Amino acid sequence: MTTAPAPPSHINLENLPSELEARFGGAVSLSKTSNGADLLINVIELSTLPSLCKFLFWEANGSFGGMIVEEQPREWSIRYLFLFRLGWVHLIVRAPNEIRALPSVVAGLHAADWYEREAEDLFGVHFEGHPRLGDFILHDEVWGEGLAPMRKAFDVRQQRFKQQPDKSWRPTLVVQDPGAFAMPVGPVYEGGLGESVHFLLETVGEDVIRAVPRLFYNYRAVEKIAEGRSVPDVLLLAERFSATSAFAHSLAFCQAVESATHTEAPLRARRLRVALCELERLRRHAGAIQGICQSTALSVSEAHAAIIEENLLRASCSFAGHRYLFGLNTPGGLRRDFDETGCRDLLAAVDAAASQLRVLEGRLRYSSSFLDRLEDVGVISPESARDADFVGPVGRASGVCRDLRRVCPYAAYSDYRVEAPCEQEGDGYARLRVLFAEAQESARLIHQAIASLEPGEIQAPLEQGGSGAALGWVEAPIGATLHWVRLDSSARVERYRILPPSFRNWQGFRLAVEDFAFQDFPIILATFGLSAAECDR
Amino acid sequence: MGTTVSFALVLCFALCGAGALVGILIPERRIPSLLAWTGSLAAAAAFCGAGGVLVEGASFRSQLWTIRSVGTIAVSVDGVSAFFLLLASVVVLASSLFSAGYLRRYLGHYSLRAFNAWYLLLVASIVWILIEGDVLGFLLAWEAMSITSYLLVNFEHEREGTSHAGYLMLAMGEAGFIAVGTALLFLAAQVGTPDFAALKAALPGLGGAARWAVFLLTFFGFGVKAGLTPVNSWLPRAHPAAPANVSAILSGVILNLGLYGIVRINFDLVPVTAASMGVIVLVTGVISALVGILYATTESDLKALLAHSSIENIGIITMGFGAAIVFAAYDKPILAGIALIAGFYHLMNHSLYKALLFLGAGVVDHQAGTRDLDKLGGLSRLMPYTAGAFLAGSLAISALPPFNGFTSEWLTLQSLLRTAELPSPAMRLLFALCGAGLALTAALAVTCFVKAFAMGFLGKSRSHQAAAACDPPKSEVAPMAMLALLCLTLGVLPTYVVPALNHALSPVISPGATAALVPPFFSSNAAHHELPPAFVADFHNLGAQVGESVLPGRGLVLLHRGGPENPVVFAMSPAYGFLALALFLFTAWFVVRRSTGNRSVARRELWAGGIPHFLPEMAYSATGFSNPVRVVFNAVFRPNIVEDTRQTVAVHFRTAIRRRQENVYFADSLFFLPLGDAVIWLAKLFAGMHHGRLNAYVAYSLGFLLIILVVFRFS
Amino acid sequence: MSFWFWHGLRRGIQSTRYPRVPESAPGITPGRPVATNFASAAEAFQAAAQCPVNAITSRGERTFVDLAACIHCERCHFGSSNTLQWDPDFEWAQLPRVKNAHDPLPGAFHRSLQIMVVDAGDCGACLREVKQLNNPLYNMHRLGMFFTATPRTADVLLVVGPVTTNMRGPLLKTYEAMPDPKRVVAAGACAITGSVFGKTFVSAGGLGAVLPVDLEIPGNPPPPLAILHSLLVVTGRKPPLPRPNDRAAGPNGTAQLSSSGT
Repeated sequence: MTTAPAPPSHINLENLPSELEARFGGAVSLSKTSNGADLLINVIELSTLPSLCKFLFWEANGSFGGMIVEEQPREWSIRYLFLFRLGWVHLIVRAPNEIRALPSVVAGLHAADWYEREAEDLFGVHFEGHPRLGDFILHDEVWGEGLAPMRKAFDVRQQRFKQQPDKSWRPTLVVQDPGAFAMPVGPVYEGGLGESVHFLLETVGEDVIRAVPRLFYNYRAVEKIAEGRSVPDVLLLAERFSATSAFAHSLAFCQAVESATHTEAPLRARRLRVALCELERLRRHAGAIQGICQSTALSVSEAHAAIIEENLLRASCSFAGHRYLFGLNTPGGLRRDFDETGCRDLLAAVDAAASQLRVLEGRLRYSSSFLDRLEDVGVISPESARDADFVGPVGRASGVCRDLRRVCPYAAYSDYRVEAPCEQEGDGYARLRVLFAEAQESARLIHQAIASLEPGEIQAPLEQGGSGAALGWVEAPIGATLHWVRLDSSARVERYRILPPSFRNWQGFRLAVEDFAFQDFPIILATFGLSAAECDR
Repeated sequence: MGTTVSFALVLCFALCGAGALVGILIPERRIPSLLAWTGSLAAAAAFCGAGGVLVEGASFRSQLWTIRSVGTIAVSVDGVSAFFLLLASVVVLASSLFSAGYLRRYLGHYSLRAFNAWYLLLVASIVWILIEGDVLGFLLAWEAMSITSYLLVNFEHEREGTSHAGYLMLAMGEAGFIAVGTALLFLAAQVGTPDFAALKAALPGLGGAARWAVFLLTFFGFGVKAGLTPVNSWLPRAHPAAPANVSAILSGVILNLGLYGIVRINFDLVPVTAASMGVIVLVTGVISALVGILYATTESDLKALLAHSSIENIGIITMGFGAAIVFAAYDKPILAGIALIAGFYHLMNHSLYKALLFLGAGVVDHQAGTRDLDKLGGLSRLMPYTAGAFLAGSLAISALPPFNGFTSEWLTLQSLLRTAELPSPAMRLLFALCGAGLALTAALAVTCFVKAFAMGFLGKSRSHQAAAACDPPKSEVAPMAMLALLCLTLGVLPTYVVPALNHALSPVISPGATAALVPPFFSSNAAHHELPPAFVADFHNLGAQVGESVLPGRGLVLLHRGGPENPVVFAMSPAYGFLALALFLFTAWFVVRRSTGNRSVARRELWAGGIPHFLPEMAYSATGFSNPVRVVFNAVFRPNIVEDTRQTVAVHFRTAIRRRQENVYFADSLFFLPLGDAVIWLAKLFAGMHHGRLNAYVAYSLGFLLIILVVFRFS
Repeated sequence: MSFWFWHGLRRGIQSTRYPRVPESAPGITPGRPVATNFASAAEAFQAAAQCPVNAITSRGERTFVDLAACIHCERCHFGSSNTLQWDPDFEWAQLPRVKNAHDPLPGAFHRSLQIMVVDAGDCGACLREVKQLNNPLYNMHRLGMFFTATPRTADVLLVVGPVTTNMRGPLLKTYEAMPDPKRVVAAGACAITGSVFGKTFVSAGGLGAVLPVDLEIPGNPPPPLAILHSLLVVTGRKPPLPRPNDRAAGPNGTAQLSSSGT
């Protein structure tokens, strides 16, 4: 288990401006964000957008964070986020409202595929050169065309769907052999214990040639509901759209609001936030391991992992009052403090979980029938992983070794040394190994955070009069999550954008499911450990 | 009786001829019914004639014309001919009745007058072949049959691939004819007269090499028509290309003619006595059976599937014949008789159920507009009668009790497993392997017909045409029902069929076979029992004499008891089994009705995970069903994989993936494609002579003149 | 490989003995707010006003809680000056407001219940809690309850999530595919009132708008034992939580986010 060295690139955040000037000259104008840390690139000539994105992703070796579309009174503002070591780069395109078609960057930046489809579905912005727009978030058989619900003029309460699903809807099938058929899986399947995702496994009868997931059955328009609401109400939304990573998402939102209002949370709160984040990661990884053991039908190990997860849930409830850590974060810090006894009990529970996970890992390593089902299954090569820009444990199992806690530390992570395990094989077993290693790392970090707690304030009041936009980021259990908040003058949320890690990983999921056997499908799904609710928002 | 037979035969020919002539005069829309009437009556006449010969028990002979310095054209109908004739007439009857409705689809597109003429002439030539008693007439009749069947196969000549299939059939048929003709004329030349009876009397004196030559030439020459591997490349192409009623005749009658030729020459005229010849027959049979069923299982075109299945069944029949030859060579006439009975029984069964299946396939093709199993489905609700008949045919061909295929394959397998009586270990091993091959074939046949029936009739319709199908008119359903009923009857009553076969085929089967297979449990006189009393008492305890006072015949149990050196016993009773099955099914139905009578049944949509609509593209396809077989036997198929992937933008986005596999027929890739390449190479070599230079042509003439002079100088 | 067998045996039986024996291990439930007396009417009013979904009403000095609307934001639990009393129980399943719920399933289902779970827009927590019922600590199999993969053999339809529009069609198909007798259970605040997602163009605002609901389980998420309790209620083995006579939610029974708040 090694931490792979960063791929060589001579471009970093410092010399990026000069490189951009050299290559793109007058097509862009550079500035800094309001907090002075991040680089803003304003695109003047639209036609250079694809090559700019390609340059930033491939040559400058940035990671693509996502795309934020904002509808402002007279123009569109579309922001492409790129992560570099120690900072972010915002690539901003402004286009007048009359322009409805922008150049697509998908040819050079494959990871932007789903973002453009999402923007087209929700905002009605068309991207020239994207091969497949439509039928993405708003399923065609339920909705008509031209809805654009994220536009300001759309009233969130209106009911515009078709009462009876359209029976003439046909899926787009790719395999065109004479005897090919597409086996449907979902959206209601796996005894209902799987989330609502639909797959069409296209096959000619031997192995499955292609399987593309169809998501957004859980689309609840969180970003739309949040517009115009006060910060505490949007905090409730941030916690609840994907409750299995509730703390991470609420933390990202709080950090964004703190950044926008130039507030800093006290040190004690930040260290406790580290401990709670890692607690959530530990619990979620135990759950993911349970899912993998369940998919391979190794019942005893599944039961063992399930007990570990349940014990961690109970420990969270005893410590923080809610099993999924709801109601703890607030912009400016935490809503409650914790005493010595509580911290001691938590550490005991965490130690027990960590040691049981070690035992489980040791046993699984000697179960050859279990490993047979994971090795060389659902392989994603390092090249594919880089191309699709995977995040989190899935990316780290395929050589994409970025971890926001190391690259862009937030909360109190800069006080601790975080080891992010990295594998190169990219198969199911590699992902399992990464999960186990990260769980152990989380347990260690909880110890460090709790041990380094000093008495102090737990919450700082928000600076008033803050309006403006800021980015908050957290390494959630599934991967890097970004929340973008724009506050208006009355401290209400004007635009709330969530860029969840599941969205990025689901986008690349189809790379792992090409030319595989039917029976491996649930295993590949389990080793990814993705959440449809987090992706769908 | 002799006059009855001759009258019946003359009537048959007269009807055929008259029908062909009348068909030219009357308007086209009346031709289907004309053909149905004449064909049926001609078949009935042939049936009476054959029946007369069988009932009488003696052959019917008659001399027709004498051709100076060549010989006489004679008619000779013995038991073997009568058996084949009987069978052919049943199939022709069914096919002719079917034609009444089926031919209407060709009105206006193709010439029905021509069809009528070729069809009736084909029937006439089939009858002529079977009643022929001398070499010349036989060869002439054979040619007539070849040509008329080619014309019928090529009937839909505007359809793609039909002409090619017909031409291939003609070419290979002619090659076979040349081989057969060579052998027969050689024999006639040896003896000096072309008459079959004279040949039979004179030929025991034939030498070893000559016997081998005759055997190989006739076996593979007739094998072309019978459909034996490796000379059956024409069969999977020609049978699907023909109209359905013609396909029924091709599979049900003309394949039998090939076997008739083999039986006539190699069992009757020049009986084969060497074990090695038997081995050749046996091995050819096994290979045909396996190759046939493998290709059938992976085939998606329904009629091509049935054609390959015909190859498989002919292989099984040939296995029976081969085993019989080997047993006879080792001086075991009873076992040889059993093996031959198994072979002929299977021949009879195959004609019936294959004709049934082809007629069914024709109906499906017409109603659903396609023969592709990947596009059919859901027909059992839309055309229940056809589905029922096709199901009966599928069960029969899969050798499932109580249908006839089960009995004949069981008998064949039992005779192959009698290895203990064989003296040489190599032969025992060979028989055991062939038995295993037959078992594998039977298993694959079940797979194949589960696929054919399930993908074709069950589930959801996979295309709009299939969803619009409906039952055909009664005239098309009635012959199928008749054949299905016959299949059931012959399966349930083997104890009547076996003595009838033995009696009919007495020229080639030893008379002891009946006694060896059907013990007389129904005769209350213990002295009639050829088996030990204790043994008989055991079977009486099992109920083998139930029905004794009511039913005629020897009994309802097939039983064979080996001799003292090999005390094996095998026994079964499809009749009692059928009764037990019927009783069980009725009881089950009754119990279910009584216990759930008060429940209401609601019909809801198929549950498919909540998707808006279960599309035909989501249902399992026929290709997917048979893919495991294709993968396991990849070495036999050796397909060429042609993959075509189209991309847009980058590898990242694919809009279409197409992976196609082309199957090259096993025998083609081994023999005929290299042969064809060699011929073309040779032709190119000779084509070098055609360069157009006049001087060289003059030189050729001069050179040839010189050679002739030299030859005549020295002869 | 046989070490798995011994490993499992060594760990012994860890299942809770609920419902025969009350379960009180720490952390099994977050608890719920209950009616509380305050020192003055003003304090009671303040305590009620802090609830973002109007689940708390005050009358005089006493506050009342409509548990069906509670989203467990914990604002009335800690971090403020006006906190309510919390009851650490989990037997929360209650009959829905609309009075056409079916009776509990007959006795044949007491020890043989098949449950079909549908995720209709759930955030993942409710589904996770439902999934915990299969682990050895809760082990619903010992009570004769099983999850089924197809609605054709299901007796109870357990729905989590506020019923998004995209899942409306599949959910209705699932319901229609279930044979009679069947019961519908709405698990979680989202399935009862739509929670913070409310009634929008993509959310039906609760299961009651789509299907006839027979039982509701409040909570966000309801802990596994609350779900287990609800399954016992559906088969008539346990009584439901009685509903207070006065309610606190909005006019049409859905919780709405108030735009006020601290």
